[in-house]
Amino acid sequence: MTTWIIILGALYLGMLAFVATNSFKKNKNAEDYLLAGSNIGLILGFLTFAATLFSTFTLLGMPDFFRINGIGAWIFLAVSDGGMVFLILWWGYHLRKKVAEKGFNGVAGLLIKCYQNKWAGYVSFAGVFLFLVPYVAIQIRGIAIFLTAVFPDAMPFWGWAIAIVAIMLTYSEIGGLKAIMHADAIQGLTLLIVTWIIGIRCVDYFGNLENMFDQVEAVNASLLSTPGPTGLFNVQFLVASFLVILFIPVTQPQLTIRLVIMRNLKTTHMMAVAVGIFAILIILPTAFIGMYGAVRYPDLATADFLSRVLLYEQPDFIAAIAVVGLLAAGLSTTDSQIFALGTEVRSLLKGDEKKILSITRYSIFGFAVVALIFSVLASDQLVMLARVSFAGTAMLAPMILTGVLSKKAMGSEIIIATAMALLIFILSLLGVVPSEIGPVRLDLLLLILLGAFSAISYQLRK
Amino acid sequence: MSSSKKMTAWRMLIVCAFLLTIVTFTPLVIPKGVFEPKLFGMPYTLWMTILITMLYVVLTFIGTKVHPGKDTDK
Repeated sequence: MTTWIIILGALYLGMLAFVATNSFKKNKNAEDYLLAGSNIGLILGFLTFAATLFSTFTLLGMPDFFRINGIGAWIFLAVSDGGMVFLILWWGYHLRKKVAEKGFNGVAGLLIKCYQNKWAGYVSFAGVFLFLVPYVAIQIRGIAIFLTAVFPDAMPFWGWAIAIVAIMLTYSEIGGLKAIMHADAIQGLTLLIVTWIIGIRCVDYFGNLENMFDQVEAVNASLLSTPGPTGLFNVQFLVASFLVILFIPVTQPQLTIRLVIMRNLKTTHMMAVAVGIFAILIILPTAFIGMYGAVRYPDLATADFLSRVLLYEQPDFIAAIAVVGLLAAGLSTTDSQIFALGTEVRSLLKGDEKKILSITRYSIFGFAVVALIFSVLASDQLVMLARVSFAGTAMLAPMILTGVLSKKAMGSEIIIATAMALLIFILSLLGVVPSEIGPVRLDLLLLILLGAFSAISYQLRK
Repeated sequence: MSSSKKMTAWRMLIVCAFLLTIVTFTPLVIPKGVFEPKLFGMPYTLWMTILITMLYVVLTFIGTKVHPGKDTDK
């Protein structure tokens, strides 16, 4: 397996070097470097969007989520993604309309123009920074843990984490968004192929789907329905998850940017359909892997389960593709997120373009270092940490939506309410404020209250 | 298709997506502890929600045809 990993790893790194240098030559200005020239076609657009959305946590987190919590994991992610792609039709149109009117160099900058208030940009950036960095960190942590399991004697966990961040920074800083997008395209396809090969092998172990689910029923029937054996997938959790995932293209700048830089509205809309199909195709085999794990390894720790099912039970070549595919998956999401944070910084600045670009590059480096440190401190609950990230950024949704939808500048009350909601949510994560108010989850309550408040403010100012 | 027809179709589509979302979180789709009837061996809630996800994608595809928005080419 090691030989195959070295060969495929070298091929992958060579490809990254090629796209980075090629993009470097083609990048003529900051627009090219940060927004890839804003003329992205359907295939590249769909692959980069999908690769940014589905990452390490898809292949590392979702099988384990299915194994531990049961089939409700499908509703948690796939149904929510289905709703999300429908929302892109509506949101993509309004976002692009506003961008055509006001220009775009980042979501924070756009909000400053929409609200005519710089605090809208600052609050947006603060929310994105606070909740994207942990998300980036868990991607780095996920791959680093996995690589440590594959090569236990090569280097410690933090060594892998540094190597991952160094690779990501090198090609992102050189090639900009175009390099990231081309790398995404290859990664998206690799991840899809690897996941299906392993998923099919898991079903094959039982002979067919029917036998597999019969075995799951025999081991733990509660995995086959909601709320699942741990009781996690109750209606409230699923509804709250649906809402926070629904708003990802609104609130997470790495995806918002991709909607803006598509060639035209039709391409944006067709991209949404393609992402929906991709979501079904990529999540389905993770359910098979999870069910396989539920029967064969119900009590193993996450890392042990994953290293067995993804590596040791696979032929060397497949295991090597899985390792390189995971590395690529993690890189494609983290680079997009870190780069988007850089773009957000740029959108808050004014002045000489060269100086701003230079600050942006330094800030990308700084964000990567912060994410690296956080990756060493984070827990192994990849999916749950990802969900916290989705929930945190979702608090920005009412502010972004009202800002973009309104023809007039909205008042500062929405900015203040958003900042307060973010603060309360952070306090709940720190255990200072309860995470449930009576029978209601705090994240759901905050979203509903913030949404209602913003809607009233929007109507009154209309 | 005329723009008024497109607008009507788009609004109907939004209603369909909204109803689909509501139905998803009712006991009709996620009954507590129930996994029958099975389809191709898959438990009820799994195949039902796979179907719902597919329906979202179909609605999205229809939406690309009837969305009344004009192109905002740059």
